[in-house]
Amino acid sequence: MTIAVMKTKAEQALTEAFEQAAPKLPGGAAVQAARKNAIGTFSALGLPHRRVEEWKYTDLRAALKETLPVAVDDTATVTIADLIVALGPLAHIDAYRITFVNGACRADLSDLEGADGLDVKPLSGALAGAPDEVAAHLSATTGPDKDATIALNTAFMTDGAVVRVADQAKLAKPLLIVFLRAGSDARFAAVRNIIAAGAGSLATIIEAHITVPGATPDGQMNTLTEITIGQGAETHHVKVAAGSGKGMHLANWNVALARDAHYRGFQFTSGIALARNQIHTVYQGEGGKLDLSGAFLARGHEHIDTTLVVDHAVPRCESRELFKGVLDDHGRGIFQGKIIVRPDAQKTDGKQMAQALMLSPDAEFDSKPELEIYADDVVCGHGTTSAQLDEDLLFYCMSRGIPEHEARALLIESFVGEAIDKLEHEGLRSALSRLAVDWLRQGQA
Amino acid sequence: MLEIKNLHVKLADEDKVILKGLSLTVPKGEVHAIMGPNGSGKSTLAYVLAGRAGYEVTDGDILWNGESILEMAPDERAAKGVFLAFQYPMEIPGVAGLTFLRTATNALRKKRGQDELTTPAFFKLVKEKGADLNIDVEMLKRPVNVGFSGGEKKRSEILQMALLEPTLCVLDETDSGLDIDALRIVSEGVNALRSKDRAFLVITHYQRLLNYIVPDKVHVLADGKIQKTGGKELALELEKSGYTDYSGKAA
Repeated sequence: MTIAVMKTKAEQALTEAFEQAAPKLPGGAAVQAARKNAIGTFSALGLPHRRVEEWKYTDLRAALKETLPVAVDDTATVTIADLIVALGPLAHIDAYRITFVNGACRADLSDLEGADGLDVKPLSGALAGAPDEVAAHLSATTGPDKDATIALNTAFMTDGAVVRVADQAKLAKPLLIVFLRAGSDARFAAVRNIIAAGAGSLATIIEAHITVPGATPDGQMNTLTEITIGQGAETHHVKVAAGSGKGMHLANWNVALARDAHYRGFQFTSGIALARNQIHTVYQGEGGKLDLSGAFLARGHEHIDTTLVVDHAVPRCESRELFKGVLDDHGRGIFQGKIIVRPDAQKTDGKQMAQALMLSPDAEFDSKPELEIYADDVVCGHGTTSAQLDEDLLFYCMSRGIPEHEARALLIESFVGEAIDKLEHEGLRSALSRLAVDWLRQGQA
Repeated sequence: MLEIKNLHVKLADEDKVILKGLSLTVPKGEVHAIMGPNGSGKSTLAYVLAGRAGYEVTDGDILWNGESILEMAPDERAAKGVFLAFQYPMEIPGVAGLTFLRTATNALRKKRGQDELTTPAFFKLVKEKGADLNIDVEMLKRPVNVGFSGGEKKRSEILQMALLEPTLCVLDETDSGLDIDALRIVSEGVNALRSKDRAFLVITHYQRLLNYIVPDKVHVLADGKIQKTGGKELALELEKSGYTDYSGKAA
């Protein structure tokens, strides 16, 4: 007797979609083999559901009822003016830029002129041209071994940025990697970035997942960024995923830090029906420093999940996490932060904080800090809070003449601002503050 | 003119009555001190004047320039000129001091029918007023009151008062936690604002502050009522005799 595991409609559809899309997906034989292998892994795993511990609060199997057509060879008319409108406050940041529309690189919307010490190529070309260079990243990611979202990404990825920051290079401007959703048809798109920051380099890299005005607000995005920070390098890495309340955003960051590397990651997520941000970081040498922070803003029935794993595998590394959420209506925020301190990782210094501001009695925040400490000489702490707006502070502001709605906005801004203030780039800080304020305004409208 | 008439106040959530028929009049141009033992209702009076939630006025009224302010929200009272310098000024992490001051200043200017100040004009004003109080603008780039010493917090309250140009200034235990130098700076800041158009209500436990901010009248508040009113010499008497005569308990 054989036992067949029942597949959901969506799981079946994804496997079938792969068969159809495979011939059109970029890459030679080695890449195709990796894709095939990945869809096999996905098929065995299925979509994660609430009985899978890491997905307890985000039941992807229940949420992903149907698959959308796969974005491959997609053509949509997007002008530079559309791009600027879509970027909103991010447009004010003077940056090198590579743009992808529905998962395909668009040279005409990119600008990499004068990018000294920075090499940026579309992944599609890299997959087709030099499979060996990237094939290693496809089969052996630094992320978790068995993850359905990563497997789907490997199977379906169409494009993304392959970035190399030269050793010792100090980039004059940030690199902005833009993923635009365009056109009237909702699509499933998978993109991957592979970023290597050379030893001693200094760079700021921003990923923006946004929508062209007038395009469908719906769609499924699966994005993965593999980033390795070289010895003594400092990398600032930001992801902005902002929508208008619809769509699905499944994201993975797999981060590896070499000796004395300093990585500062920030994620801003708002206006997405279901977002899952997975961050997996591992230290490969002593003296690594990690700062992860983020802001998530949810209203309506939006659901934003941040799940991170910080793996202290070697001694004398530091990790800091600060995540702040604002939850209105039935908005739901999830924070799962696992810090593993392995037996050899003495002198580890880790601190984690996740806080949610609840603007409605129906909002929900699920926070699950997990410390797994196997070394004995470490300093590790975590905290989590969820609270309503502080009435005393509100009174203080109002007693200075600030009207109630303005005072509320100011206090919410300040709450989120504590996370945004972690960003060193002033233009980025003000752009993200602007996005947060705009989100608040939408709520008051 | 501030007129407090037979004011009865209880805590909204409890049956605890705090003010039991307090009456008081402060004409414009005058500084009145309210002294009293701990628990006499001094801070409650300050909060009720500013409109803090959590208190219920069961009887009486508060008139400012002939108009009852009891039904007004705190920001409306501020627009009418009411200002409370807090005993414990609050910290607002994430809001830069300058942003806070500018938001408040312009909100009030708007409500009072004045033009909003441009950023450079506002900056100049803050620099000027701050200098009088020994407050460096750099300090105001930090979040409101975060990491400030007790003295810095009190000076920042007085700076707010100077910028917002209130006409009824209520100072709640402004001297608490101040060393002698800070007390002098704060008092000078207050004295600089004294004018024929402003009324001051200075709430304090100790006479010390009144050496610096010399009041026109002193009221003794105990057990929720004004027990005695006199000139500035009353404060000195109290310093000697304590509050025992008024409440039956030692202060």
